[in-house]
Order: sequence, then structure tokens, then C-alpha cells
Amino acid sequence: MLKGQNISYTHKDFKILSEIDFSAQNGKMITIVGPNGAGKSTLLSVLSNEFEKFNTILFKEKTFKEWHTGELSLHKAKFSQQYNSDIPLLVGDVTLMGRYPYFENNPTEEDLKAVENAMKQTDVFHLKDRDYNTLSGGEKQRVHLARVLAQLDNEIQNKLIFLDEPLNNLDIYHQYKILENIKKFTQKGNTAILVLHDLNLTARFSDEVFLMKGGRVVANDVPLNIFTKEIITDVYNFPCTIFENPVDKKPMIFFGT
Amino acid sequence: MQNKLPLYFVVSFVLLIVLAIVSLYMGVYEFNSSFSEIISSFFVENSAVSQTDQYVFLNIRFSRIIMAILIGSALAVSGTCLQGMFKNPLATPDLIGITAGASLFAAVAIVLGVYIKPYIPEAMHFSFLSIAAFIGSFITMSLVYKISTSNGKTNVIMMLLSGVAITALGFAVMGLLIYISKEEQLRDLTFWNLGSLGGASWTKNGILLLVILIAYYFLIGKGKTLNAMMLGERDAMHLGIPVEKTKKQIVLFTALLVGTSVAFSGTIGFVGLIIPYILRLIFKSNYYIILPLSAVLGSILLLGADTISRTIVAPSEIPIGILTAFMGAPIFIAILLKQKKSL
Repeated sequence: MLKGQNISYTHKDFKILSEIDFSAQNGKMITIVGPNGAGKSTLLSVLSNEFEKFNTILFKEKTFKEWHTGELSLHKAKFSQQYNSDIPLLVGDVTLMGRYPYFENNPTEEDLKAVENAMKQTDVFHLKDRDYNTLSGGEKQRVHLARVLAQLDNEIQNKLIFLDEPLNNLDIYHQYKILENIKKFTQKGNTAILVLHDLNLTARFSDEVFLMKGGRVVANDVPLNIFTKEIITDVYNFPCTIFENPVDKKPMIFFGT
Repeated sequence: MQNKLPLYFVVSFVLLIVLAIVSLYMGVYEFNSSFSEIISSFFVENSAVSQTDQYVFLNIRFSRIIMAILIGSALAVSGTCLQGMFKNPLATPDLIGITAGASLFAAVAIVLGVYIKPYIPEAMHFSFLSIAAFIGSFITMSLVYKISTSNGKTNVIMMLLSGVAITALGFAVMGLLIYISKEEQLRDLTFWNLGSLGGASWTKNGILLLVILIAYYFLIGKGKTLNAMMLGERDAMHLGIPVEKTKKQIVLFTALLVGTSVAFSGTIGFVGLIIPYILRLIFKSNYYIILPLSAVLGSILLLGADTISRTIVAPSEIPIGILTAFMGAPIFIAILLKQKKSL
């Protein structure tokens, strides 16, 4: 449902992405992992139409230019890192912005319900009348996750969600909760493309993994084939051992000697 | 809260009308007839009302009140839009140098105008002035934006410093023009720095109204868009907001509003700072509400200030820029104190 070929991106003489081929099918949870500077966030930006010059990416068989902007935001949404943005609004107002593609002037009952559901999913509903600026980093993160989830709460089939490091600042409970919510989202036929740092969480939840290093995709496969001692030690330049997770038999990566 | 907007709007509008009527009665000139007589004298032939009464009522007092309403509204809306675009409560036409840029070009137009005026029809004189001011504010706005914004993030310090730089340049050129200008031009030029609504006329009001109608058509509905832009340009784009188009429209139309206002009334500062600040105290930074309301509250502020300016030391006038500065400077300080940590 999303396809991009030979993606390259250079910024000020520095090659950030080199000849990357990417494709995603419906109903899959795909994770992009790799060391710092591998180009993961940039790839996610390119795939989510944040750079205008890429008109070779096909989303549901159409290039982004062929899509009508308003329509597009009902089919795809992206969660990005909010670096120190001061938003002088209430939490409820911030989350409501996720429904902006749906109403002109006033939100409908449906919009308010979608926002309420999303806030309950990320556990920020009890904060809805608080000042956004008074929240902790993790709480703010969950507010924006709720906003993005609310944006895609509709009857359209095969939607696409991008998440750039959604687990930053979150405690263990909320990390698992959001990944479980994304998993449920993809089980309804939608697609999720995430950038994560935690390899074990990636192994537990992803259907497919893209391993990047130095602007290239080094490997692209199911977690079982990606998380091998040889590949991971080489890419991360750090010794590791792979075990089998006693709970669900998925790969478990242990770093260090 | 979003549902109560029409209510707030109507209440403010009524307040404005009341203030306008009150202002009509206040002033230096002593009317010989009552107002109802004067008003009906426009529709009836051979009335007992003197021509002077009619003239003063219509062309001096009433037109001045209308100008205060129009310019107050234009400046307040410009301030609110700029603050939405720059994502900072200090972004106002005067603080970031746009007013200075506009008055600079307007001053040059006045001095040059002496040489060009004989060749241009009368009606075009005011247009020439407002076009020059608009060009000045547009160039300044684009310059400030280019200097202070990169990757969609505004460097507030740069934004304010470019305002300082441009204001300094404007001040220098203005000083030069004052130095080389003749008597009549001198009077005109000094009024630029302090602002005055004394030159109100129906021609100017007509141009102002036209400019406001055009600009508001594009700007007044941008409340939701400005809210979304608080998330950052990237996230706003993912919500389907046409960010680049919006920025271009805000730059163009606020330049138009500020340029025309400055052309006709000189430098009246702080309106774009005071009104959004007060509205934010009540409604938080919800542009869906504060943008349309600023259009009405700006009028109320400037009309009130103008009425005070021409009655408090009657028969002379305190230049209106002084009054708005007295109101605005404390608010500026209040914002600085609140922003201490983030700036």
C-alpha cells in the first residue's frame, strides 16, 4: 500500500539516504531500527510526504501529489517528536486538533467521541482540562499520540500511521500499552511504520523490520531473521547475544559481554 | 467554548456601537444643534442646522470615529495573525519593524510626492501613499521572516533584533528627511512618529474599508489554521493545513493592513500587542476565538484611545501613539516576565 523506489536524499553535500527501496503491505506493523545517524527519521519523513520533492512515492497506487490534501489526512497520520513546543492551550484542545481534517468550525459528537477514545487509549483523559504546558514530557508525548490516533478514527479501510520514536519518555506500562494499541490498529487491516530504539520491543511486536545503517537499508525481513548475532553485532558495533524469549519465543537481544 | 463565539462577537460589537455613539458626543467643537437635528438635516432640505455643524459632524468627527474603528481593527488583526505565524506573543507589526518599514516608505513617498504630485490625479495621491507604505511593510515583513525563521522554527531573538535593526534604519532615514525637508513636509513627517487620526477623511476611510474587506476575507477564518500551526509546521501539514499558502497569505495581507493604516495615521504602536494579550488571558491561545474577536476589540481600543486623546487636554490633542504606548509598554513587560524561561 506504500511503495518507494531508489530513495536518495542529500542535504548540504551529506548523503543521508542512499538508494533505498521500501514497500509496506496492509495490516503490517513495520519497524525501522538502526544506530544513530542511520537515517531512520529522515526515511520516515520522506515516506510520510514531508519533503515535497519526492513524487515517486506511491500511497495506495497514487503519488502524494495526486492526493487531495484534506482527503490524505484521513488516510495517513504521523507522530513526530515535539521538541519543546510551548502550546498555550488545554490538553483537550490540543488533542481535538487531531480532528481538524473532519470539521470546519465546530466539532461534532463523533469528533468529540473520537478524541475521548484516543485520550483513554493513551491514558491522558484525566488530564483533559489541564494546561498542556504544565504536563511532564511523557504526558505531553501521550497527548500527541492521542491526537494522532484521533485523527485516524474513521471508517476508512487500510489507513497508514507513522510513528517516530513514540516511546520516548514513556514508562514501561505506557510503552507496552501504546505498542499493543498500534498492534490492534494493524490487525484491523491498517499499516503502521515506526522508528524505535528498543530492539527487544521491536522483536516482540513487529511483523517486519528494516535495519538501517549509514543511510542504507542493510536488511529487511521478519524479526527472526534480522535479529541474529552476526547482523546485530556488525550493525551496532557492539557485542551481543541472541536468546529465545521465554514468554513468546521471539528473539531476545542481550547487549554486552 | 467554540460554540460561544457568536455570542462574544455580538456583545463586543454592541459595545463598539455604544462607544461610537458616546464618542460622537465628545469633543472640542460645540455643536449649535442637537444630534438628532443634525442627522435629520442630511435627509431634509432647508433645515435650520448650520453648514458648519453639518461639516464638522460628518467630515471631521464621524469620519474620524470610523477611521479609528477601521485602523484599530486592522492593527489588532495583524498583530494576532503575526503572533500565530511566528508562534510568539511578541510578534507584532511595530516590534518586528514592519510599522517602521511602512512609515519609512511612506515618508519617502511624502517627500518625493512633492515632485510627482503635479503629474498624478488628486484621487491617486492617497493611493500612491498607501501603495508606498504597503511596499515598505511587505519588504520588511519578508526580510524579517527570512532572517528569523529556518525550518519552520522562529528564532524569537532574531525576529525582535531584525525589528530593532529596521526601526533604527527607519529612524535614521526619517531624521535625514526631517533635516532636508521644507516646513510643510516637516509637520507631516513628525506626525508619522507619533500617529494621529486627525487627518481622517472619507476617501481614506473608503480605501481602508476596501483593504480590510479584502484582507479579512482571507485572514479572519484562519483561526483553526493558526491553532494547528502551534503544533509546528510539519504536524500542521499532516493535519491537512496548507502551511506555505497560509504563511504567504498572512505575510501579504498583514503587510497590506499595516501599510495602509500607517499611510493614513502614522505610527500607532502596540494595538497588535495589547489586544491579543488581553484576549489570551480570557480564552488562552485559541485563535479560533481570539482572531475574530480581535477585529472588534481593536476598534474599541483605538476608538477609546482616540476619544481620550482629543478630549483630555482639549482643545489640543495628545498624539494617539503616546496613549497606546502607555497602555502597551506595561503589557510588553508583563509578557517578558512570563516568558523569562522560554526566551
